Amino acid sequence: MATSDGDNRGLAMAPGTSAKRRWSLTWQYAMLCALSLLVLGPLYLTAIQAMSPPFLYVDAGRPLHPVAVDWKDRTFFTGGLLSLVVRLLLVALLLLWLQKVASGRGLRPFATFLTPARALAVVGGTVAVAVLTGPAFGSLHDADGRSAGLVIVAMAVVAATQLWAYLEGDRSPLLAGLLALLTGVGAVGTAIVAFGPEVWTQTWSRYSLGPAMGRSFVMTIIITVLQVSTAIMSAYAFVFLRFPFKRILFALFMATLLLPLEVTLVGNVATIRQLQWTDTMQALVLPFGATALGTFLIRQGFRGLPSEIQDATKLDGYGHVAFMTRFAVPLTRPVIASFTVISALQAWNQYLWPRAVIESNTFNTLQIQLRQVRATEVAAANQAIAAALVAAIPVVILLIAFQRQIIRGLTAGAVK
Amino acid sequence: MATGRASMRGRYTAKEVGLAFAFLAPSLAVFVAFFYVPFARLVNWGTWRSVRGGTSYEQVGLEQYRDVLTGSEFKEGLWHSVQFVLWTVPFGLVLGTMLAVAAHRRLKGIKVFQAIFSSTLASSVAVSSVIFFFLFNPSIGFFRVSWQSSPRWAIFAAALPSIWQNLGLAFVIVLAGLQAVPDEVMEAATLDGYGPWRKLTRITLPLISPVLLFLFVILVIFGFQAFAQIEIVTQGGPGGASETLVYKIFNLSQDYGKSAVMSVGLFVVTLVVTFVQFVILERRVHYGDE
Repeated sequence: MATSDGDNRGLAMAPGTSAKRRWSLTWQYAMLCALSLLVLGPLYLTAIQAMSPPFLYVDAGRPLHPVAVDWKDRTFFTGGLLSLVVRLLLVALLLLWLQKVASGRGLRPFATFLTPARALAVVGGTVAVAVLTGPAFGSLHDADGRSAGLVIVAMAVVAATQLWAYLEGDRSPLLAGLLALLTGVGAVGTAIVAFGPEVWTQTWSRYSLGPAMGRSFVMTIIITVLQVSTAIMSAYAFVFLRFPFKRILFALFMATLLLPLEVTLVGNVATIRQLQWTDTMQALVLPFGATALGTFLIRQGFRGLPSEIQDATKLDGYGHVAFMTRFAVPLTRPVIASFTVISALQAWNQYLWPRAVIESNTFNTLQIQLRQVRATEVAAANQAIAAALVAAIPVVILLIAFQRQIIRGLTAGAVK
Repeated sequence: MATGRASMRGRYTAKEVGLAFAFLAPSLAVFVAFFYVPFARLVNWGTWRSVRGGTSYEQVGLEQYRDVLTGSEFKEGLWHSVQFVLWTVPFGLVLGTMLAVAAHRRLKGIKVFQAIFSSTLASSVAVSSVIFFFLFNPSIGFFRVSWQSSPRWAIFAAALPSIWQNLGLAFVIVLAGLQAVPDEVMEAATLDGYGPWRKLTRITLPLISPVLLFLFVILVIFGFQAFAQIEIVTQGGPGGASETLVYKIFNLSQDYGKSAVMSVGLFVVTLVVTFVQFVILERRVHYGDE
């Protein structure tokens, strides 16, 4: 079967010899894993770059050797009892959660869930991670060239502890092996990235990511609140209120879609300079206080409400404001939630506008702060690279928490 | 308030009109102050030419529009923008479709793969630009290639972060399109003896073509609006070889006349693209209402 085997979700379920089916399944998982590597590859390589010793050795000739390694000695066990316990608990909970997902059943009753195989997977896996990643950290610190081998050994041992548990519940040995391998790679990789080199805290203070992130948060929250409230109000007016020039005003709203920020940039920057608003929060948020897209999407949501609701509430004596806040908005919550998340995402990711109206580096938002890492000296390039990954964390959390809303918002125009 | 829908049709009540304008006022204020007025000023500034090194401006009518829009600088910037679009859009369409077709199947754990494929949504333009700046940096990169410093490949180097970052968006949009295709259609095709490849090219792709068109349009718009990628990866270099239209406008902001004309030029370019988007959007909505 070719990799380009289009759409065979029907075929995967079709009756056939079990060997053939198993082969087809293996193929599909292999293809999906390869594509995952393509998507995550740049991130993986970047993480490796961030955790490699500082780059000064690049110009030091061969054999390559690090000139200024300023990492502290670290193993899994350094840093106090409390943090060790937290670390161990984190790893154990991660493995336990994986077993729960793999078993396809709940944790309760716990006694029947925790078979010997699963107990080995959780406890053995945690111990293996703790003991074996220590030397890997040390090797990373010394840059003695053995780190890769040590990491692979650690991954293999952790994978071995998982195998028995994954074999439970009628899994083919191949699939169980693959899952165990993925768990090993994931657990050891996470341990190394999260508890290993101190590059993350170094980059945090060196590029003052904290204040920049705080400023981005404030900006994002103000923009989102403004956009959502103005969009709800104007959408309500367009759907439920009768007033003259409605069509002209609506056209005027929608026509702003034809004027992206890139076009009006020069004029807007001139306005901000005339108002002497450079390096102020109002300059960052006010131009984004209203959006045609939000008005449009929420208007679609309001129009979907049955008119009986409005008639009934009117008979009950509700005015427009009460109807809007108690009925119209709560009933269109999915649409509004999608727009809220999309609006927050866009506000957080802004680059061109903050870049244009921020003139002093002390007022940088996170995205603009990232520009500075470009000019970093070679000796600390790993910290600069780490800054990019740290800066992505808030959105990763947002994406995990609101995946459904984000996807619905992004595809709102694509499929109906 | 006794304003029944039917009885008062066609009449306005002062209370309702007042409320409506109160609701619309904040949005209108933003749109006028930050969309229409700046644009009107730009159109006007385009008729003023900077003289004596920008110390004063003289009214030249449409002459400056003619000179700048036919001049080499605008054409060069436009050509670089088009090249950027030509790199990002085909990759976005093909890779997005590939990921979506691969992840649109009933398998255990497919949700995990779908989450992985959409994960680049979490990166901002600045984040992905920094990542690719260091990955392909000629002196300290993971891959030490000279793309960023070569006039021929600089735009491709700046397009790489976009190509990667668009994967998530393209995947999510195409997958939504695939999920809207009824299962019966695919089953009928299987019964008719269509192989996987023929099903993909003859049935799936034509059925999701509106979605692909939508994706095409937004990728083109994103491409023309690219700025951070250029500034972080190549800084327009080497020797201006990757200065796109937006990058030129940004760095020209000292000369209000010239940058105003180029902004209006960019407006015309995006107008065409956005118009197509609007037509598509409107049609979708009509389908939805029926």
